[in-house]
Amino acid sequence: MNSIEIKKLSLNFGEVVVLKDLNLTIEKGEFLVLLGASGCGKSTLLNCVAGLLDVTDGQIFINGQNVTWLEPSQRGIGMVFQSYALYPQMTVKGNLSFSLKNAKLSKDEIEKRVQNASEILQIEDLLKRKPAALSGGQRQRVAIGRALVRDVEVFLFDEPLSNLDAKLRTDLRVEIKRLHQKLDNTMIYVTHDQIEAMTLANRIAIMRDGLILQLDNPKTIYNFPVNKYVAEFIGSPGMNFLKGAILPNDKPTFKLDGGWCESPDLSNYMFYEPIKTETQAWLGIRPENVVFGDDAKNMPVKFSLEVEVVEPMGANTLVWSKMGGQEFRFMVDGNTTLSIGERVTVGFDPVHSSVFDLDSEDRL
Amino acid sequence: MLTKVQSERFFIGSIMLAFAALIMATVGIKPQLFQNLQFLILLVSLLLVIWIGFKAGKFEIITNRLRIRAMGWLIAATFSAALWSFAQKSTQLLFPALKEFRKIWNTFEPFALFATVVCILFALLLFIVGSRDSKLERPGFIERSLVNNLSSKIAALPMVLTAVGVFVIATLWTVYHSFTNSRMLPKSEFIGFAQYERLWSSDRWYMSIENLAIYGICSLIFSLFIGFMLAALLDQKTRFENTFRTIFLYPFALSFIVTGLVWQWILNPDYGVEKIVRSLGFESFVFNPLYDIDIVIYGILVAGLWQGTGFIMCLMLAGLRGIDQEIWKAARVDGIPMWKTYIQIVIPMMRPVFITTLVIIAAGIIKVYDLVVAQTSGGPGISSEVPAKYVYDYMFSAQNLGQGFAASTMMLVSVLIVLIPFAYLEYGRRKHA
Repeated sequence: MNSIEIKKLSLNFGEVVVLKDLNLTIEKGEFLVLLGASGCGKSTLLNCVAGLLDVTDGQIFINGQNVTWLEPSQRGIGMVFQSYALYPQMTVKGNLSFSLKNAKLSKDEIEKRVQNASEILQIEDLLKRKPAALSGGQRQRVAIGRALVRDVEVFLFDEPLSNLDAKLRTDLRVEIKRLHQKLDNTMIYVTHDQIEAMTLANRIAIMRDGLILQLDNPKTIYNFPVNKYVAEFIGSPGMNFLKGAILPNDKPTFKLDGGWCESPDLSNYMFYEPIKTETQAWLGIRPENVVFGDDAKNMPVKFSLEVEVVEPMGANTLVWSKMGGQEFRFMVDGNTTLSIGERVTVGFDPVHSSVFDLDSEDRL
Repeated sequence: MLTKVQSERFFIGSIMLAFAALIMATVGIKPQLFQNLQFLILLVSLLLVIWIGFKAGKFEIITNRLRIRAMGWLIAATFSAALWSFAQKSTQLLFPALKEFRKIWNTFEPFALFATVVCILFALLLFIVGSRDSKLERPGFIERSLVNNLSSKIAALPMVLTAVGVFVIATLWTVYHSFTNSRMLPKSEFIGFAQYERLWSSDRWYMSIENLAIYGICSLIFSLFIGFMLAALLDQKTRFENTFRTIFLYPFALSFIVTGLVWQWILNPDYGVEKIVRSLGFESFVFNPLYDIDIVIYGILVAGLWQGTGFIMCLMLAGLRGIDQEIWKAARVDGIPMWKTYIQIVIPMMRPVFITTLVIIAAGIIKVYDLVVAQTSGGPGISSEVPAKYVYDYMFSAQNLGQGFAASTMMLVSVLIVLIPFAYLEYGRRKHA
């Protein structure tokens, strides 16, 4: 059963078109992450679902009910904001129970729900404190609790971890995932952090300029990005791109500009449709898929390059170098010692690569 | 053997003495006994310098960390001394070119001399402070409290003196003289509480207090309420917000006198609202608040509100803009009606703005004077008198300073009665929290 259905949603701010003809279906219990750079319309979309923005055109259904023109409180949603948006002069308990009191629930019921939510979020000790006396992580827990007590079907998160420091962010990320596994509610989560998106999501919607570029599970998005923008956006460090042309033979090959190494054989690459003519294209390969040293010898494509910058990251070390005038990064084991200026042999298997058209930047 | 530090201290000390001698010679000392004191001091300081020179072998200001700053002041002193000397006849004789700018030099002459003395004083002060500590590599107490940010302290000094002079000394002086029978000029002839007895037995004072109470309470409530309502309405992403804000704020740009005159005309039965409505055909229409003893203060109140609410609105609007937009969103998601969001969430969050506004309104209430003068001059009869007008009239028209001082002391006392518990609640509690 579909939990949320968005049909032909459009939103304009005056002349500016923010969302255009957007369709999106979210299943019950699904964790959907809206991912994109700032200004791509992801928060706007979330606000439309929440009912905080009036849509220009289109319809939104939550649990089969058309909620396009309903007030936010009547849509059966709970929302968590980036700045926590706690009511500063109320205690934690006051924050949790304010909406319930307003909905005229019985005292016992309120007590029960607050108790339940604070147990789940482990904020029982904090109930008497005011938000000013809480740390960022605790505040965000309370904010989640405020959505939790309302006993809603759909949770909306608007960059909830962006105001926290790196350590807390990781901790709370896991907790949100646990919460989702426990409650099994539908959740929509807006973020610009791809790690959060990859770790939390059942499906990720990558947005750009008010359009969803790709909507798929994290694995597919990571391995088969539909265009160069998605390929660049997902993955850290970012994908390497090599310019060249595809030669359509029985065995299609990728002729690299400059011809600084043998042309990678693309016969095992899954093209959407067979290439008929010679096509200018980008060959994308993730730094994680590039191997180095002895392993490289068995790879179909191998070449040597000069180490320029070494970034040790603990488990791995990221090596920066240049290949035919373009940046080329690859990962080596954290224990490898490399010196600047050293020439090393690296290689990769074209099966792991992605090929994009040079002009349209779409996957081929 | 003297240490480097000691020699420096003595050296600076002797310069101090010489400077003192110079000042004494300039000012001149009257009593016979001290007539030649400056020469004596100069002699002592000279002897001291010679002695130190003999002992230490050289005169150097090396150890003193503040010497650069002191030198700066000395250079400044030299400049102003030069400026002063340009105005002197003998210098002008030496350099005839200076004569052409005689006017400029003459203007600067007195300032330059004064500045020279002040600059030298500062330089000496720095030398003393710098050489005070035995371990010169580290600032001592005096240096930390006095010399750090010296320029800002110097700059703040006039304002500190003004504040102390006006607010503390003048207030005390006023209270003191309210117990005397000063008439046109202040006297120190005490008559106890007589001025207060007279004050509290005067109908006019009672009327003033009553009017101030009505005006104060109404103006406080209405300007807060109207100001906040206007701000809340403007905050709803209103179109032409800037235009409305300007219109609402415009009256604030007018002085009370102009406001008073405008409203006097509007409320005047001969050419104001009453005239217009009557000319529309309602012949028996009566609307002349400024001529009605019972409601005249409300006529003044209307003018005051018209003038002041725009500003209150701007303060409130600024406060509303300071509220995180996500709070509004959260309240909407929680299903809290807008009026309830305002009352239970937004207004408590705007507490600091409300306090500021309250202080501004309260100050405006206490000092209301020109509005009354422009609209009614306290009439009809004494029915629109206010305390500030009472004070002014007694001090400058009735030439009874003592009575005016007593009234203003009463105003001060009433302000303090309101202010002290408020300040205690506001700031005393924060200390404990």
